Amino acid sequence: MTADQIRAHIDPIRHEFAESRSLILPALKYAQTEKGHLTREDLDAVADATGFSPAYVESVASFYDRLYLEPTGTRIVSVCVTLSCMLRGADEVWEHLCEREGVSHHGGTSDDGRITIQEAQCLGYCDRAPCIQVDADETRGPLTPETAAHLVDELRAAPAPEEFWR
Amino acid sequence: MPILNSVYRHREAGRVLRDLADYRAAGGFVALEQSVSDMAPDDLLYVFHRSGLRGRGGAGFPMGRKASFLPKDAKLAKYVVCNADESEPGTFKDREIIEMNPFQLVEGVALAGYAIGAERGYIYIRGEYEYQARILDAAIRATRGAGFLGQNILRSNFSFDITLYRGAGAYICGEETGLLESLEGKRGQPRLKPPFPAVAGLYSSPTLINNVETLSALPPIVTKGADWYAALGPEKSPGTKIFSISGHVQRPGNYEVILGETTLRELIYEHAGGLREGRRVKAVWVGGSSVPVLGDQHLDTPLDYESLNAVGTFLGSGGCIVMDDSGCIVRATLRLASFYRHESCGKCTPCREGTSWMERILQRIVDGQGRMEDLELLESLFGRISGKVLCALADGAVAPVSSALKMFREDFVAAIEQGGTPRPEPMWPATPAGAR
Repeated sequence: MTADQIRAHIDPIRHEFAESRSLILPALKYAQTEKGHLTREDLDAVADATGFSPAYVESVASFYDRLYLEPTGTRIVSVCVTLSCMLRGADEVWEHLCEREGVSHHGGTSDDGRITIQEAQCLGYCDRAPCIQVDADETRGPLTPETAAHLVDELRAAPAPEEFWR
Repeated sequence: MPILNSVYRHREAGRVLRDLADYRAAGGFVALEQSVSDMAPDDLLYVFHRSGLRGRGGAGFPMGRKASFLPKDAKLAKYVVCNADESEPGTFKDREIIEMNPFQLVEGVALAGYAIGAERGYIYIRGEYEYQARILDAAIRATRGAGFLGQNILRSNFSFDITLYRGAGAYICGEETGLLESLEGKRGQPRLKPPFPAVAGLYSSPTLINNVETLSALPPIVTKGADWYAALGPEKSPGTKIFSISGHVQRPGNYEVILGETTLRELIYEHAGGLREGRRVKAVWVGGSSVPVLGDQHLDTPLDYESLNAVGTFLGSGGCIVMDDSGCIVRATLRLASFYRHESCGKCTPCREGTSWMERILQRIVDGQGRMEDLELLESLFGRISGKVLCALADGAVAPVSSALKMFREDFVAAIEQGGTPRPEPMWPATPAGAR
């Protein structure tokens, strides 16, 4: 994404912050919507648009789980594995999805590049455990290994989103 | 179904209040109108103080007192910050408030702003709650459109607006100074305190930070009165609290109770529908995962701050995770240790290294590689982590491990002697959602 595109996104909210450093996180999140992850060029563009160094911008970006500095699958499937979900079958859902997508039990991206499976810490849907979040869409649950797999099949068949909010 | 004595209007009314007109019809924005036209800011602050409302995010600090710590004569701008970074395992009450009743939160933030003399408030919402963020964003816009936010609200000289700020995935940003760092465009690593945010918070300015549930309680406290609120429940912890209950219960969900009037047993068996046939409670983390675990001998404890402290735990965020006797306490403890290892921000060495060691030792016990000395090794870590760090994450990481080891030591010993612990069968959801 270009610095001008990022400026067009953050300029309208600039007056809401006493220090322009606060614009870095919104800028990073917006820059990521283009490709689903942040490239070196994206970090440079965020640096240019916000007035901070690329090194500083990267130091911020690297802190947050939902900012991706490496390419990912077209859709990211986050499987909550924290205690409430574990008690309701999260590990079984996790392992089933990893095996179906052909990735190790540490997660990863399927060979066709469509799906990234990753562990998530508590997503705040413990009343619907076990739950899954696709990108930053509304979290879904309760699931079984089968319904979770069906959900992933639907994602694979669907067109890629126009913007990647993660 | 309408709920008597509910502090939250969607529960009181028994319906979702996502439209401004519905919220108005349920008594919304009357508190703000009354305050800006008839009350001095200090008088409003005194109402908060007299209500006895304590912070609902986890620490339980009296809200009015926290607000009174802001310097009165400061020339710097003052800020209200709402902590909507709900990430404590087992906690999903703020999600409900935002989804079903976003205007009450918006009104609460504005009331807090008026009381402390702020012109801007920020709501910091976790990145994973993008769906909820959009609901809240629409509510803020509608509120502004109706003249309850913006310049000279209701023709008073109070001008105030709210910025919604989205996080990007970090539990530590729920720690108040980690949140402020993140909001300032930095890595969300907690600050050395003092100074506390009331003196030097956002942009080094005096800042009041409160949780969603706390700020949302303010509008009814103003309209029904501090005395009404203070009369609900025990003197030292009045009011209602939403408990999120999950795990091995039949009806997981949010249940609002008057503090001190409901026991843990009633929460589990009456509100949450109890356990499966033939099961009994093995372990309960009553206030989120960062608190010492309780066992079935504690079920008759009333749910309020003091009673829970008396049995050695904390009310915390009210995220109550229940495990029945089909579960494995060693595996559950490992899972929590893994959570804190993942979420430690890495700033303080004792936490960064200590959470990693706790996970490693527990993992080898589960895997059948444990040695009896591992239990002493684990215990020797606790005092080297707790109290040696900048924030409460480390204490939260130690509490579930140290308490489990104390209360269920025989389970850990058995896991070592028997060469590991088999994975128990989970309690499958009764009615799984379809793929959509």
